[in-house]
Amino acid sequence: MTVAAALIQVLGGALLAPLVPGLVHSLKARLQGRRGASPLQPYRDLRRLWGKSGADPQPTTIVYRLAPCLIAAATALAVLIVPIAGQAPDWSLGNDALVLVGLLALGRFALAASSWDTGSGFALMASGRDLTFAVLGEALLLLALLIAAYPARSTDLVAMGAAAAGAAPWGEPAHWCGAAAFALVVLVETGRQPIDNPDTHLELTMIHEGPLLEYAGRDLALLEWSAAARHWLVLVLAAELFAPHWGGFWEQLGWLALALAGLCAALALTETAQAKMRVLRVPGLLAGGCALALVGLASALVGGLV
Amino acid sequence: MGALESVAALGAALLVVGTMGSLARPFASVAIALQAAGIALAGAAGAAVFLGTAPRGAGFRDGLDPAFGIDGLSGFFLATIALVALPSLLYGRKYLRGGPGEGWSIALGGLFLLSLGGVVTARDPSIFLASWELMTIAPAAAILVRRRDAEARHVVFVYLAITHLGGAGVWISLLTLAKCGALADPGALAGQGAAVQTLVLVAALVGFGTKAGLAPLHTWLPRAHPVAPSHFSALMSGVMVKVAIYGLIRVLFEWAAPVPLWVGMTLLAVGLLSALSAVLLALVQRDLKRLLAFSTIENVGIVALALGASLVFLWQGDRTWAALAFAAALLHALNHALFKSLLFLAAGSFERAAGSLDLDRLGGLLRRMPWTGGAFLLGAAAIAGVPPLNGFVSEWLTVQALVHVGFGPALGTGLAGGIAAAGLAATAALALYCFVKAAGLALLGEPRTPAAARAVEPGPAMRLAPVLLAAACVALAAVSGLLLPALAKLAPGSPAVAGHPSLELPGTGSLPSPWLLVGIAVLTAVAWRLRGGRRAAPVPAWACGQRIEPSLRWTSAGFAKPLVLVAQSVLRPAREVEVARAGALVEGVEYRAEVPHLFDVHLYRPLRARALALAATMRRLQSGSVRAYAAYLLLMVLALLVLVRVGALG
Repeated sequence: MTVAAALIQVLGGALLAPLVPGLVHSLKARLQGRRGASPLQPYRDLRRLWGKSGADPQPTTIVYRLAPCLIAAATALAVLIVPIAGQAPDWSLGNDALVLVGLLALGRFALAASSWDTGSGFALMASGRDLTFAVLGEALLLLALLIAAYPARSTDLVAMGAAAAGAAPWGEPAHWCGAAAFALVVLVETGRQPIDNPDTHLELTMIHEGPLLEYAGRDLALLEWSAAARHWLVLVLAAELFAPHWGGFWEQLGWLALALAGLCAALALTETAQAKMRVLRVPGLLAGGCALALVGLASALVGGLV
Repeated sequence: MGALESVAALGAALLVVGTMGSLARPFASVAIALQAAGIALAGAAGAAVFLGTAPRGAGFRDGLDPAFGIDGLSGFFLATIALVALPSLLYGRKYLRGGPGEGWSIALGGLFLLSLGGVVTARDPSIFLASWELMTIAPAAAILVRRRDAEARHVVFVYLAITHLGGAGVWISLLTLAKCGALADPGALAGQGAAVQTLVLVAALVGFGTKAGLAPLHTWLPRAHPVAPSHFSALMSGVMVKVAIYGLIRVLFEWAAPVPLWVGMTLLAVGLLSALSAVLLALVQRDLKRLLAFSTIENVGIVALALGASLVFLWQGDRTWAALAFAAALLHALNHALFKSLLFLAAGSFERAAGSLDLDRLGGLLRRMPWTGGAFLLGAAAIAGVPPLNGFVSEWLTVQALVHVGFGPALGTGLAGGIAAAGLAATAALALYCFVKAAGLALLGEPRTPAAARAVEPGPAMRLAPVLLAAACVALAAVSGLLLPALAKLAPGSPAVAGHPSLELPGTGSLPSPWLLVGIAVLTAVAWRLRGGRRAAPVPAWACGQRIEPSLRWTSAGFAKPLVLVAQSVLRPAREVEVARAGALVEGVEYRAEVPHLFDVHLYRPLRARALALAATMRRLQSGSVRAYAAYLLLMVLALLVLVRVGALG
């Protein structure tokens, strides 16, 4: 079972990850009455990018060239930390939720540093916004994780997932608050509407795409893969901590697949129904999420959630 | 006298000789070498006691006869002082050469180190307080030796005024403790009733809090640290504020223990206020050293959060987590000492090389100064708290402690833990924002001024110091798991915490910092290989088809703008646009924007106005007329007679 979990971690993280944004995009196209690209389009994009040579904007230093590799490495480690269906293979990296938060921050640091290296205004504008969202985004992520960790009294992702299994958590208001807060986290971390528009071609409104503007070839492929792996990561986390799951490893694996499909559909639906928010209104939304999560924590503390 | 005591005494003696010898100009190098050897010996003795078990020298006593000694906590802080002092002295030797007041600066540096060591090794109130005052005065003198302008004098006045007013708290708390006999016998204070204990605690929080730079008593810090010579700033930000933390720990965890719950909750609140407000203000600074000074307040706030969590755990009776939170505080103090001194030393080199500390006047320094710049970049990543560096390890431990406070069981403490944990997460994100900005503006992109374009690396000594500190940051990240038991042992009750390189703590998923270090290095290398060397012709960065002109470059204010807009209601930025017109023709536009330091505007300015008004009123007493003074004397005598009559004077 652990071997199967390890396989899914590595293969899922590396190979299935691009399918997640692909699926969201094709579903979204269907919902909007278009035929759209096939869900496999991200794979084709990655193959095309891999064959191209990179661009070398002037003046840049090693920071710019190293950033995509560092981001890919941090994301890959983060993928290895998240257990699959309650099983955590021992990569001797631990399974701590807060280490995961740190690894995502490392990616953000590297990307923002690369924006300074090119000095491109669009990249810097976008990273400034990204880092602004991250301030409340990290607080929100931490509170959502705190609620998920509360029943197990541990930030070990395996224990957190086990405590969220079964029907019992659904009777607790805290779980609902945590799920709502984490839904916002998913939108922030994946850069989806209403926080950011991944389909935009207008530099002025880009957030997650902005710092990628200068990159080309394999650098861009690494960054695109990292973005896809981040989708995979937060959706798996959402499924394991806040979606219903029962039973042993194989049953849970079934539930995980179901939850991932459901979450992709939900993302496509919000993207269709929601327009992008004004940049300065996003922190208000996130602050609301924080307040909701604190209410959830208070209810857990009062109710003595077991 | 055992071997360790001899080593420590020899170190102190060398430090004294080095301090006195530096006034003779030809011996400056020898004097600095002696100082370095002295502090290295003292630090080694401290580290030996910290890692070993038995305290050396005298124990704490309440009388006023001088005594020195080293126990685990003193040893830890002594080792921290040495770790920062050695690179700073190495750097300072070259940095000061040929400058104004060279000999005096070196002597004051030695005196400063002596006083820092004196505070942490003092075993009686007289030595403690004497060293404490010396520690306050030495940096002020060091600033004035090199700068005599009005700004520096004003800064020194503010620094001395605030730290002395606050320092009264240290005297009150320490002398009260000594009077109750609580220094020698912790627990004696409990017999004196709640009022005395409250007095001691409040006085200690104010006194040590002022010196540590905890909000709202921090206003001297962002003024004083930037004007000091760079290696002095490194010592002040790296070590002096930590010595104040040392005093706070002694009072709260030892002499006045067990403390009531409100102390822990106050520390949580004050720590969160310091961390969040300071990092917000750091983000909007343009002056690199001022930015670093604000970030010091932020990091002291994080240490205070960990200490507060530890006190709450002690109150709840959870000894293991109390010890872990305590260890988190010490580890963060050590980490911050390392990377903050690194950043200050590198900032000093940037100032020398590019002629400015204004972030908008640097740029592109990584290519011109690869060693200093590389070390600065690593220090920025460490202080931003990204894995796998040392800043992340201690911040992770602190957040874990706060999250475990958040698990309850009581609603009040639980919510406080949750809010503090979320606040610390936001602080970490803001610190990342702030230091990406600082590193980006200083090191990356095109040089922003001709001076920055001509910048060159300083000499080997000034280059080596930050590089050594950067190496220490990486090394400490790898071994913090092994350091944890020794740190946790210093907490009250000294519960046993198993040492494990992967920080496998109860209630966490463990932080295998060495493996993260290896994992990131290996995977980055793999990705680098996969990426290959294929590159197209060099192209300019994309700006919608036009070239990026110097005037189009992104500035410090521009990068922080989204956050300033979001936090507008808290930061209250001021903006002025002046358009000079000649008829319908715009001839020039002047733009000024600043984010005021709101503690100054809303707290200190009214306070200062009141104080001055009060002083003006009091001045009427000093009429200069002899008859009035004779009348005062008469009144005084009469009042005393009345008091004696009533029996108030016994």
